[in-house]
Amino acid sequence: MTRERVIAFFAAATMLLLAACDGGNAKKRGSTLKFSGSGLGAEGRVVSRQIERFMRLNPDIRVELQQTPDDATQRHQLYVQWLNARAGNPDILQLDVVWTAEFAAAGWILPLGRFKPPVADFFPATVEANTWAGELYALPWFVDVGLLYRRTDLVPVEPSNLDELVKQARAAMSRPGGPRYGFVWQGARYEGLITTFVEYLGAFGGRILDERGEVVVNRPEAVRAVTFMRDELYGSRIAPLDVLTWHEEEARFAFQNGNAVFMRNWPYAVEPMSDSASSRVAGKYAVSPMPAAQGGRSTAALGGAQLAINRYSESPAAAYRLIAFITAPEQMIERAQAVGQYPTRSALYDDPRLRAARSIPWDQAKRAIESATPRPVTPIYNEMSEILQIELHRALVRQAEPQEALNSAAKRIDALIERTGMRRLAREAGK
Amino acid sequence: MTFRWERWLFGAVLSALVIFTLFPFYWAIVASFTPDAALFRDPSLWPRTIILDHYRSLFDERDFLTPIRNSLIVAGTTTAFCLTVGTFAAYAMARLEFRGKAAIMAFILAVTMFPQISIVSPLYLLLRSLHLIDTYPGLILPYMTFAMPLTVWILTGSIRQIPRDLEEAAHVDGASRRQSFTRILLPLAVPSLATTAILTFIYCWNEFLFALSFTLGPERQTVPVAIALFRGQYQVPWGQILAAAVIATAPVAAMVLVFQRRIVQGLTAGAVKG
Amino acid sequence: MLVTPALAVIALIAIFPLGWTVWESLHMHELRMPWLGKPFIGLDNYAEIAGDPRFWAALGHTAFFTVVSIALEFLLGLFLALAMNRVFRGRGFVRAAVLVPWAIPTVVAALLWRFMFESQGGIANALLVDVGILDQPIVWFIKTTTAWVPVILADVWKTTPFVALLLLAGLQNIDLTLYEAAAVDGANGWWQLRHITLPLLKPAILVTLIFRTLDGFRVFDLIYVLTGGGPGTSTEPVALYTFNALLQNLRFGYGSALSVVIFAITFGLALLYMKGLGVRLGGEQR
Repeated sequence: MTRERVIAFFAAATMLLLAACDGGNAKKRGSTLKFSGSGLGAEGRVVSRQIERFMRLNPDIRVELQQTPDDATQRHQLYVQWLNARAGNPDILQLDVVWTAEFAAAGWILPLGRFKPPVADFFPATVEANTWAGELYALPWFVDVGLLYRRTDLVPVEPSNLDELVKQARAAMSRPGGPRYGFVWQGARYEGLITTFVEYLGAFGGRILDERGEVVVNRPEAVRAVTFMRDELYGSRIAPLDVLTWHEEEARFAFQNGNAVFMRNWPYAVEPMSDSASSRVAGKYAVSPMPAAQGGRSTAALGGAQLAINRYSESPAAAYRLIAFITAPEQMIERAQAVGQYPTRSALYDDPRLRAARSIPWDQAKRAIESATPRPVTPIYNEMSEILQIELHRALVRQAEPQEALNSAAKRIDALIERTGMRRLAREAGK
Repeated sequence: MTFRWERWLFGAVLSALVIFTLFPFYWAIVASFTPDAALFRDPSLWPRTIILDHYRSLFDERDFLTPIRNSLIVAGTTTAFCLTVGTFAAYAMARLEFRGKAAIMAFILAVTMFPQISIVSPLYLLLRSLHLIDTYPGLILPYMTFAMPLTVWILTGSIRQIPRDLEEAAHVDGASRRQSFTRILLPLAVPSLATTAILTFIYCWNEFLFALSFTLGPERQTVPVAIALFRGQYQVPWGQILAAAVIATAPVAAMVLVFQRRIVQGLTAGAVKG
Repeated sequence: MLVTPALAVIALIAIFPLGWTVWESLHMHELRMPWLGKPFIGLDNYAEIAGDPRFWAALGHTAFFTVVSIALEFLLGLFLALAMNRVFRGRGFVRAAVLVPWAIPTVVAALLWRFMFESQGGIANALLVDVGILDQPIVWFIKTTTAWVPVILADVWKTTPFVALLLLAGLQNIDLTLYEAAAVDGANGWWQLRHITLPLLKPAILVTLIFRTLDGFRVFDLIYVLTGGGPGTSTEPVALYTFNALLQNLRFGYGSALSVVIFAITFGLALLYMKGLGVRLGGEQR
């Protein structure tokens, strides 16, 4: 036996042992796993199908699907409530990409290292997003990523950088009968603004927090990013002021009705816009990663769902088996085929079953995911994001200058870090 | 105001006010029957194409019946409970003499003016520890905080307006307090009770902050919360929102139109006579 | 005692929570951050409020909203009340019509006005461009000044009927012979309004003002739906800020402290008014 094989053998043996103990428990007390996640419509049907298959393969485990609110904020509130009460149910939690660190720091979810998850198979960014203090706390289930949508009839080649994007947009707008808007994105004061901002920020080489968790969002790169966004609104005017009140759907309507040259949006928009009955741009658009500016790199905001194990679960080993099953290649492909959600395993993008499925441009999607950056992985993400949303919005509606707004954001985030004891927490976690 | 121009001005201002009042309703109704695409391309004061799609999808896709049911249950139970308990209190406040009555009345009035937000945090913690978040009792209980004082206040005002003569006559004839209450006052107070019920119901039906704070998902959301959260991350379905608005408005609007006179009396009896 | 059950209910679910709020406000209690525990921190939360610019700004927005909307509602309401106090054709219709906005959910009212002020295809933009007041459609919700317009209009639209009804009830208590006497003396309508109606209406006016000021200070639904407090946080009222601290960030200690401050302000205002009113609100008139 080679060394790898020995390790693999022991890992498998440990797993079996764990599972056996746990399985024995489950049988004796007839306990069940509760799986909570979005269970609506087509998504719900796929999950139920997969869970049934899992139960057939693992007769010792019973799984119940527990309905939770579809709205992220509300699901978060519900989870916080349950976990604060140390409830063992649900055993498996569906987390938004920006919650993992918070739940991990709170001690509400189990580190997964002991189960030896196949970390290397997943996109690095999705793993990074689920890692807190050096430990992986959740397995990425499906991935969402910011994409640049482009009207191919107006702009045949994808822009190589942000300045070119502006030029192309202006040229297309000034054509006779050209679209009213050059570039539409999500600029309302909500989480979507942060995802847009993260992409510009990365494009200019900036960050929100540095590797030590200190705030660097008022550095010159960030100021350049915000200044660039403002210039799209008030200088080159390729973005309408309306985007400052827009969420995803308003942007999609504008693009779908043929009113915009470029759009920043999530992958979900691909399918509704391919329907020529309701879309004026069916067959006339393509997606690509967001372009970079000088000095930065092409960056896509990372979204999506992860699965984690409740710290108070009575059968964590069984819970991990279910998670491993649901995030296995077969199930991911099935899910992609059924509801078009992007797998988190990079190898699957070359799988013919996936490539045959639906009208999704898998190659560009993969490129974008490879350029994806998680939003700051920190337990205080929620409040930090709120501060940034406010200050960015102030800068974009011209209530404040970019530098001034970002300074204020940095000051408030720093106070937040201090108040919540983040530095001490990071030190202790580092030990 | 005998001059003609004054009369004319009066009419003009009044008409303007009435138009100002009614136009949003008109516009919402028109829009709820208009296809979304037409809605935003070129708004027109007169409906050109009428469709029922928004209403249909409200029930087919969104299950708008659930919030309606939730609202009916929560508002109905709260109203029934408050009316039962509140009637006795109001009777006592209106008819009996006891020490500290003025203080109690002032206290009740003060409670109606409570800013709701100032008790959200303990109510949340309380309901959480009782596992009542996202349940019907978890809404009914908080609703009592404003519905109960409101009921007592309005009922006291209207019971005071019922003449005492009959009850006094009954007393002379040897009737007990209980008899004079159940046989004489209660029948006389039925219209006031109905008015109070309508008002309390309307307040509960319209309540938003508690319903938003103490529910977590579509299962228990009331109508106002459901409508406000229609605008999900991925959608601004204006057509559906307005259709829902029309549906949420219709019952209260109907009640107001039918019981207009009584509602006005009920509203002002408590407030101004004090 | 017949009052006891009702009082008990009120005390249990209104007064007791208030005490609890005060207790919470003396702690650091962050549900999202269990590693912080729940230490007793005395008045630290209040100190944080005192130095929190977002709170002071929110207080300013609340005061601004309250003053402007009440002023408009009062003027329009007084006119409506005077109008409804007269006999004219269609009086019942007018009364019913103005009552409907009062009865509908605030959320719905806010949505109606949000819809009318949408930048794309909103009727407000269309009308104003048609009439020539605007050159081109504007985005109402990205400037503080323009964002307030739909907010105030919606509140005026929804609440004027209530104001009018309270004032009308006051008007109906005024002895008509006073006007007859004045008319005999040759006094015109304006004189009658100033020297008879307004002085005698004073109690009703004050009650109305109390109700509306306290309402204005707890404004939540309307702004939550219409602007969400934006742009930035420039239309955010205190209730929305508090809600946010409590239920978005789950900062129960700080949020409770904010609640206590709002309560204290409202209570102070109410006391102030009652003093000015000089009326026994106990209801001992009979």
